[in-house]
Amino acid sequence: MHIPENYLSPASCAVMTAAAVPVWVHSVKKVKEVLPRDKIAMIGVGAAFSFLSMMFNVPLVGGTTGHAVGGTLIALLFGPEAACLGVSVALLLQAVLFGDGGILAFGANCFNMAFVLPFAGYGIYSLIMKGTSADARPGRAYAAAAIGSYVGICAAAFCCAVEFGIQPELFHDAAGNALYCPYDLSIAIPAMMIPHMAVAGVVEAAFTVAVYAFVRKTAPDMTYEAIRDRLPVREESKKGRFPVYALVAVLIAAVPLGLLATGTAWGEWGADEIAETAETGSPLGYTPKGMEDGFSLDVLMPDYTLGEVSEAVAYIISAVTGTALLIIIFKLLSIPLKGKNAANAS
Amino acid sequence: MKIIELKDIYFEYDREEGPVLRDFSLEEEAGEAVILRGGNGSGKTTLLRILNGLSFPQKGSYAFKGEKIDRDHLADNGRAKRFHKSVGYLFQNPDTMLFNSSVYDEIAFGPRQMGLRDEEADRRVEDLLSLFELRDIRDRVPYHLSGGQKKLVALASVVALDPEVLTLDEPFADLEKKRAAWLLDFLKELKASGRTLMIASHRDDLAGELNGREIEMRSL
Amino acid sequence: MQPMLPEWMKTSEEYVPPGDGGAFYYRTLRSLGGIMSRLRVESGREGRCSLPAWLKLLVLILYILLMSLARDRLCIMGLAAAGLMVLAMMPAKDIWSVLRPALLAGGLAAVLFAPAVIMDPGRLSNSLMVVVKVIMSVTAVGIFNRRTQWNHVTAALRRFRVPGVVIFLIDITFRFIVLLGNLMTEMLTALQLRSVGRNRKKYDSVGGIMGTVFLRGSEMNREMYEAMQCRGFTDDYKGL
Repeated sequence: MHIPENYLSPASCAVMTAAAVPVWVHSVKKVKEVLPRDKIAMIGVGAAFSFLSMMFNVPLVGGTTGHAVGGTLIALLFGPEAACLGVSVALLLQAVLFGDGGILAFGANCFNMAFVLPFAGYGIYSLIMKGTSADARPGRAYAAAAIGSYVGICAAAFCCAVEFGIQPELFHDAAGNALYCPYDLSIAIPAMMIPHMAVAGVVEAAFTVAVYAFVRKTAPDMTYEAIRDRLPVREESKKGRFPVYALVAVLIAAVPLGLLATGTAWGEWGADEIAETAETGSPLGYTPKGMEDGFSLDVLMPDYTLGEVSEAVAYIISAVTGTALLIIIFKLLSIPLKGKNAANAS
Repeated sequence: MKIIELKDIYFEYDREEGPVLRDFSLEEEAGEAVILRGGNGSGKTTLLRILNGLSFPQKGSYAFKGEKIDRDHLADNGRAKRFHKSVGYLFQNPDTMLFNSSVYDEIAFGPRQMGLRDEEADRRVEDLLSLFELRDIRDRVPYHLSGGQKKLVALASVVALDPEVLTLDEPFADLEKKRAAWLLDFLKELKASGRTLMIASHRDDLAGELNGREIEMRSL
Repeated sequence: MQPMLPEWMKTSEEYVPPGDGGAFYYRTLRSLGGIMSRLRVESGREGRCSLPAWLKLLVLILYILLMSLARDRLCIMGLAAAGLMVLAMMPAKDIWSVLRPALLAGGLAAVLFAPAVIMDPGRLSNSLMVVVKVIMSVTAVGIFNRRTQWNHVTAALRRFRVPGVVIFLIDITFRFIVLLGNLMTEMLTALQLRSVGRNRKKYDSVGGIMGTVFLRGSEMNREMYEAMQCRGFTDDYKGL
């Protein structure tokens, strides 16, 4: 679901970024207000779950691949605003370090995966859980989490499909050839929605419920309900960080499984691949102009690989790097600015 | 036996400032405790420096255990080591004395310089760490300690040499009540073991407590 | 003698400070003194199950060596990932103090490479690798510093057969920096607390402080030598 560079026109990118900015501002404010410092630091762990879940590519119908996003999961752990920040930072790392998702399209990707996804997912969850708590009705909470995350990822995929689909209508050259994404709404929406509803959504729901249940059992103070309602922290939960980190480690070790799915995700073809794609029955036959001479950036580890070396090793290194960076970034964000000045003065 | 004999000492740091000590004589028996009293600038610290061979009087003579102590005498390394092992000096400012990278090394410095075997040096340090209750801070950097702790580490590093004469410059300054009481007991023990003490202190009760002799010093 | 207060001390006075300059010099000097005295040799927090200092030093040297020798991306990124993982496990405050100098160094390296990359964009990826190398090497040193007490490092050096004099010099250099830094901060604080009025001679007193610090430094040097003598040091560096 990562929109690559040059699939959206620069104008669309600008619009989507403009739409994402107020969400970021709101999220930063809200997170500062609601979450205690140590929880802000823990968003990094949530973001790491999201980052890792995106590395597990699953084969989708029609020869493409997809992945879970984990946005609803972070929302369940730290609230939708924290999920917005967590996924945004994860997406930024993916764009800058691994070339997954365009830099110009960063705003659009954030809009889909960091805004629509967690807010929709958490909204559904809250609706279902209205008037009760996860502690009182755990079964219902897991069902709600599954439905919320499923709807969340489908909503995000829909937004993504619309953004793809309006490109050929808006931007094409005199010959009628699209400048950017060549497929219109009638192709993009089914192409995105069917696999996401059939496979990726289910994977997302399963991943969300599994990790959420695990965290609720091992570190109950790490759920948004506990934070928001200021539930008293149970003694045993204080030492409970270890299993959570252990789960992160297990996921890292398992990421090479994500390589089993071959093929490129729909809408993430490279400029060299796109001419051969045959979404309308016959090959597209040309490379859209905006893609040929569009903006491109060399990144450290393009597509999470390192040249010829073993893909699995490179994939693990990417996973470790991404996870470590996310944890570091959110730990840094949790340093109170005022406290720092006070420390300097003393 | 006279352990310290000072005769007609004249000492000045600077011609213009004039003498700090003039016609100063002092004798101390082995095992005696002498308390130096007097206001600021009365020459207590100068006297202690002379006794430790750090300053040399312009006139007069200083004999330690009958041996004349002067520049020439201390120029010989062997003699200097022997002399400094016999006389311990606690500086007024403990910062001066703390230059090692851990409390342990600080206390071990003297014994190592004296050429003691490693096991012997280790044993002494361990004993002193227990005696001075410094175990908790054995790995700390001495100059980051609090004032009172610095003083105790400095004293321990002097005691590690097992000197016959201890010259202490204001040992009670910076010490809280409990530590000060402990130090007084420790000094009594030292005296009971036959060691000679020379203490510059503002405490009135010290001569009485240590059953020692007070010497009043005056600014010139 | 009964102390007699002068007349002007017996009434309370209304004090309005006149505008005054020179704050810049104070601040500069004070922050310098602050940095010097904050150079806490024992600031490294060692965990309960921390590796011995000499092993950490060995790992650090090995890491930097590998990092600078590594040529292919896999090695560099693998090493970087390992370093980042260790960094991620540290408390937030430590992370920042480790990362800030590393990022500064990385930024500097990036600036140095910028002209070459602009001339030939094909070099970008290699230049990026160098920047990563710089950042991660500085980070590794930072982590080591944060996690190891300096005096344990010098002890580790001893184990590697570095001569005692060298270690002793390192130790006492730190000592002087810390002690003089303390002195400078204290004096400047005292000066600032006392200079309530307009003080045209402010710069003189700042100069005076620097002079005093210098004099005190050489005095401390002499005193330390005497203290060493008193404990049997006879210019023989072998025993150090």
